Amino acid sequence: MGEVILTMKDIDKTFPGVHALDHVNFELEKGEVHALMGENGAGKSTLMKVLTGIYTKDSGSIIYEGREVEFHNTHDAQEAGIVIVHQELNMVGDLTVAQNIFIGREFMKGFMIDDRKMIEESRKLFDELHISIDPKARMSDLTVGKQQMCEIAKAISHKAKVIIFDEPSAALTEKEIEDLFAIIRDLRKQNLGIIYISHRMDEIKVITDRVTVMRDGTYVGTLITNDCTKEDIINMMVGRVIYEEPKTHSMVPADAPVVLKVDHLNAGKMVQDVSFELRKGEILGFSGLMGAGRTETARALFGADPKTSGDIYINGQKVEINSPRDAVKHGIGYLSEDRKRYGIVVQKTITENSTLATLEKYMAGLFINKAAEKAVTEQYIKELDTKTPSADQLVVNLSGGNQQKVVIAKWLVRNCDILIFDEPTRGIDVGAKNEIYKLMNRLASEGKSIIMISSEMTEILRMSDRIVVMCEGKKTGEIPIEEATQEAIMDKATRDIA
Amino acid sequence: MAKKKTVISQEIIVAIVLVVLYLIFRLISADFGKYTTFLSVMDISYYYVLMAIGVAFPLITGGVDLSIGTGMICYALAGGFLIRAFNVPTGFAIVVTILFGLGIGIVNGILISLMGLPPFLATLCTCMITRGLGSVVTGSFAVPWPTAKQANGWFHSIFKIATADKTKLPLGLLWIILLTLIMQFVLAHTRFGRYTIAIGSNKEAAILSGINVKFFHVMVYAVSGLFAGLAAVAYAAVIKTVQPGTGAGMELDAIGGAIVGGVSASGGYGTIYGTVIGAYVIIFLKQGLPYIGFNANMQQIITGLVLIGAVCIDIVKRRVIK
Amino acid sequence: MKTIKENALVKKLGFNRIILFAILLLMYVVFSLIIPGFAGMARIMSIFNYVYFLGFLALGVTFVIATGGIDFSIGPVMFCCALMSGYMLNTYGVPVVISILASIAIGFCFGCFNGSLVAFVGVPPFIVSMATMNIAKGLGSVFTKTQSVSWPQGNDPSGNGWFRNLVKVGDVPTGLIVFAVAVIILFIVMNHTKAGRYILCLGSNKEAVRLSGVDVRKWQMLAYVICGLMAGIAAIFFVGAYTTVQPGLGDTYNNEAIASCVMGGTSMAGGLASIGGTVIGVFVISLLQEGIMALRMTKEVQMIITGLIVIVFVYADVSARRRKN
Repeated sequence: MGEVILTMKDIDKTFPGVHALDHVNFELEKGEVHALMGENGAGKSTLMKVLTGIYTKDSGSIIYEGREVEFHNTHDAQEAGIVIVHQELNMVGDLTVAQNIFIGREFMKGFMIDDRKMIEESRKLFDELHISIDPKARMSDLTVGKQQMCEIAKAISHKAKVIIFDEPSAALTEKEIEDLFAIIRDLRKQNLGIIYISHRMDEIKVITDRVTVMRDGTYVGTLITNDCTKEDIINMMVGRVIYEEPKTHSMVPADAPVVLKVDHLNAGKMVQDVSFELRKGEILGFSGLMGAGRTETARALFGADPKTSGDIYINGQKVEINSPRDAVKHGIGYLSEDRKRYGIVVQKTITENSTLATLEKYMAGLFINKAAEKAVTEQYIKELDTKTPSADQLVVNLSGGNQQKVVIAKWLVRNCDILIFDEPTRGIDVGAKNEIYKLMNRLASEGKSIIMISSEMTEILRMSDRIVVMCEGKKTGEIPIEEATQEAIMDKATRDIA
Repeated sequence: MAKKKTVISQEIIVAIVLVVLYLIFRLISADFGKYTTFLSVMDISYYYVLMAIGVAFPLITGGVDLSIGTGMICYALAGGFLIRAFNVPTGFAIVVTILFGLGIGIVNGILISLMGLPPFLATLCTCMITRGLGSVVTGSFAVPWPTAKQANGWFHSIFKIATADKTKLPLGLLWIILLTLIMQFVLAHTRFGRYTIAIGSNKEAAILSGINVKFFHVMVYAVSGLFAGLAAVAYAAVIKTVQPGTGAGMELDAIGGAIVGGVSASGGYGTIYGTVIGAYVIIFLKQGLPYIGFNANMQQIITGLVLIGAVCIDIVKRRVIK
Repeated sequence: MKTIKENALVKKLGFNRIILFAILLLMYVVFSLIIPGFAGMARIMSIFNYVYFLGFLALGVTFVIATGGIDFSIGPVMFCCALMSGYMLNTYGVPVVISILASIAIGFCFGCFNGSLVAFVGVPPFIVSMATMNIAKGLGSVFTKTQSVSWPQGNDPSGNGWFRNLVKVGDVPTGLIVFAVAVIILFIVMNHTKAGRYILCLGSNKEAVRLSGVDVRKWQMLAYVICGLMAGIAAIFFVGAYTTVQPGLGDTYNNEAIASCVMGGTSMAGGLASIGGTVIGVFVISLLQEGIMALRMTKEVQMIITGLIVIVFVYADVSARRRKN
């Protein structure tokens, strides 16, 4: 191992309502692969965004190559040699591979772009990385894995000294992952500093030298990979004081009827042959890592995305669900993980949002019965304890937790029996979280059935009566709450590489 | 991947359509085959094609420029007015005409790129403004440019030249071919062209790659304006007397040409040669339909339907590929 | 007047509209002061004539803009309606009632055509507008064999002139009553019916509305249909006031209608629309047109001013949104 190339000290960052980074420390040496681990929302991505200038830190210092630095945008960071390979790809699909790699810094021959040289250079890069991609291929014609390789080639071509891989393997096949590792080993040999963000325990063991673990925006510790076990790391990741008592046994009566049965559901790569049952009054937890296919399963079930095959039964009856309209008709409600995009109409009032799915019920002939709709909205504002001056408030002016309550109200007004909560507490502060939990428990006890998708282990353990675990688009396990432990779930949610 | 290669590009299809169209018109109408008809069709085509070449750039960025039609008339009016009222040399008037177009193009670019107005709205406004300006400058009078026989009418021979035995040659076609090649080169092999495609394909990625997207976005509209200026010169040479208040609707034929020629209405893809072929398809429809017994106004309806049809094909193609 | 009341009712953006209303009054005062003889009933009646047809156009396009779309084919569509139905009246001798219904039906068809292309096929609205503009102009010209069409005068021996009573009976501006009724109906549609609710919501966040189990395509299409219907009605009021329509024209009115909307506080980004604001906007544009005519300036000057107005108001809307985010 070599000298330290990058030190981040006491980095602090607060967003409205969230303390995203609480005096975090991080250190990277030349020629090492340093894993950054933690559950979703632990602050890994935020830390990297602070490093590459996407966010500005509130306090703390970044020392890079012996000097204190502060980047204002990714471009600055790139110039200095810190490059990030994003989880979402930043590619111009209509340009070729070579054109993408050198975009913004094309080789010129007079005022003409020297495409031949760019193709040559790309070829050299790919040779160096031992990958075979045609530099003349159109970017959008490549597989996601190949596109990722191009991102890496682009990063290397920047003469990078530090490369950050943000969950690079999420979309790759096993073969592609092996190729990726070969490349990373190569880069390590060239004395680059590499930060590797991943959830996959086994990859960490295979490829990294050190592991830094973060949890809830704080720095937990750094371990030498070879000296620790998978369990050590998991313990550090989840080892918070659990102030929320996990559920010890299922609240669902043994004879509760099955209200929803999903049979061999398929929808693209992210939903492969998923089957499960949901019973009356049950909270069914869906656990798994980011990109495991849980949201995709929910969306396919709800008719938001087309499904390729699979049957859905409600109360024993086979039903056709091809659009959200069908799903809602059958009494399914969906709370999206991305409230702003899929849940609420932000520029509209609480009332307008609350009755969006149920407007027929509040019509007096041709006209909307505004009094009735306001009455029901106010009833739910009271019932859900939504904090707002009035039902006429625009939703955009509410806090995250209260916006979430508006979405819940929308489905309760519709009187849906099956509710899908996708990350119901994302971006919501602790107090509001507890309220949402209480509400979910109450709904379940009133006989509603809930599918809860959550990436927070404690949330899963606290709320679920039964847990379905998914990994890479497949259901990998089903655990009754009595037998569930964090370790057991994590084990099923991570994939072992042979 | 291999499957997509077998899809014939829209440019080729449109080229075939163009040839078929020409043959049909010739077969049905003997008059259409005459050399004089060919000359007059070519005359009309220059300004449409020039507008189409220019507007291809905003279209490839996913925007549009609706100001080119009325703009062209406005610039031609201004140039002609300078000759009539101040007796300036024709060359000077031509330069002013072209620069005027460039200027309005830059205004469009600023409104869209720097001020964030939706392209169709910003250019709809400049469309109205140029339409008004042309009339205001000339006091709503028609402006004749010098005729070919006048001493300062030399610019007519840029587009049409008579040989020794008095046959006329459509010289403009040569310039069109040349400009097509140049602009195709610009689109395919210069930074400007590359970033035009990048803006249309994934603007966010272009910004993250450190490209000065704002500047290039302005330039895209500047090019469109510049070509509207060039079109104004061609218009003056062919139509001779420029009427204020006209020009509205001409942009549609130019834009329609580009889209028929394979430029994607949602941006990210297009070629200049495709645009030019597409523009000629529209022009042939426009000029040829009356020869085969259609009401001259039918062509407007047909152009509209062809435009919708072309976009629908584009949409369906994208869905199938996905 | 009625418009003030609407301002008071809608609290949120009332302020902007009160300002706009003040501008309207101020403009009237200024015109009256600088132009001798501007104040008086004759001018006001003339302004009303402009208000009617522009008002219907603007009200219609307000619905389309509320969905986040655009329709700048409405001017030529209005002319096409007036040409085709007028030609039927004059050449085929159909009763004037039928012509009026035909005009509205033609507008309706254009609305269906535009709406289905945008909502069901997914063609960008501006492309649809361009194509429809061409089609409307072409259809109008072909149908009338490129001749202008004059609708019967009030004293026409055929007795068909009675339709002008819709616009004016003697010196009583009956058109104002019709227009007011339309405004009230559309205000109710926009703010008190399912259609209006869904149109506004989908303009703001189409995907969220779809995921609430609403058939968004249907409602999006409806906005264009309303717009087409209004263009058909506008045609009647246009010929009721100005008698003659010529083929191949009409595009200046799109811009004025759109200008009225954006001035009145309807956002180009969709989701925010104000019928009352549009009405004030229509009055402002109509007054402006009358004032410019009275100043012996041309229609072209007005176009320039309208263009600048739209730029200013849209820029204000865009930058206000930016600041919010």
